[in-house]
Amino acid sequence: MSDRWQYLLVLAACLVITAPLEMFGPGVYRQGRRLIKSILPVALVFLIWDEIAVAAHVWSYNDAYISGLSVPVRVPIEEVLFFLVIPVCGLLTYNAVSTILGRVKRR
Amino acid sequence: MTGLGYTVPALVAVVIVCAMELALLRTGLFRRPAYWLSMLIVLGFQIPVDGWLTKLSSPVVIYDHRQITGLRFPFDIPVEDFLFGFALVTAVLLLWERQRARR
Repeated sequence: MSDRWQYLLVLAACLVITAPLEMFGPGVYRQGRRLIKSILPVALVFLIWDEIAVAAHVWSYNDAYISGLSVPVRVPIEEVLFFLVIPVCGLLTYNAVSTILGRVKRR
Repeated sequence: MTGLGYTVPALVAVVIVCAMELALLRTGLFRRPAYWLSMLIVLGFQIPVDGWLTKLSSPVVIYDHRQITGLRFPFDIPVEDFLFGFALVTAVLLLWERQRARR
């Protein structure tokens, strides 16, 4: 299998590993509107930062490990997904931890 | 040294996120133990994921060494990435909490 899928596979692994956390409390995916309103504005800001950093050659991406798909102007699709996937993982963690700590407190 | 083009924005991002909570949003997120515990867990997962993306032997992301401090720990992770990650996840949690407060 080609190494080009490496970055995408890392992101997929993050989603798979955190998926079971959805069962805690009110969940994250089950609050779709709240989820979208939390991650989209932040993802947009970080995407702009990413575009500037790539344009200014602060960092770059190894073509060997990315799919080759990108969004205008020069940011790989993997980065866009990163700004969606990592926040979702963070929210799932926070939702699970909050639910568990809430249960402990009520005892 | 041409200007720490990653270090400075990463620090600024952390300051902006903290200032937004303290001056504007006031969700109380920073007073919640669940937040700090979650960030600790996120940090624990950032190390393998980010370590993979930034390993110098076969990096997925390549940094211009003139734009970072050069401190890379653990593995080959530029320390700036931890500021970046903190700002990204905290900003999202703040918006999430704000929507709770509004209900």
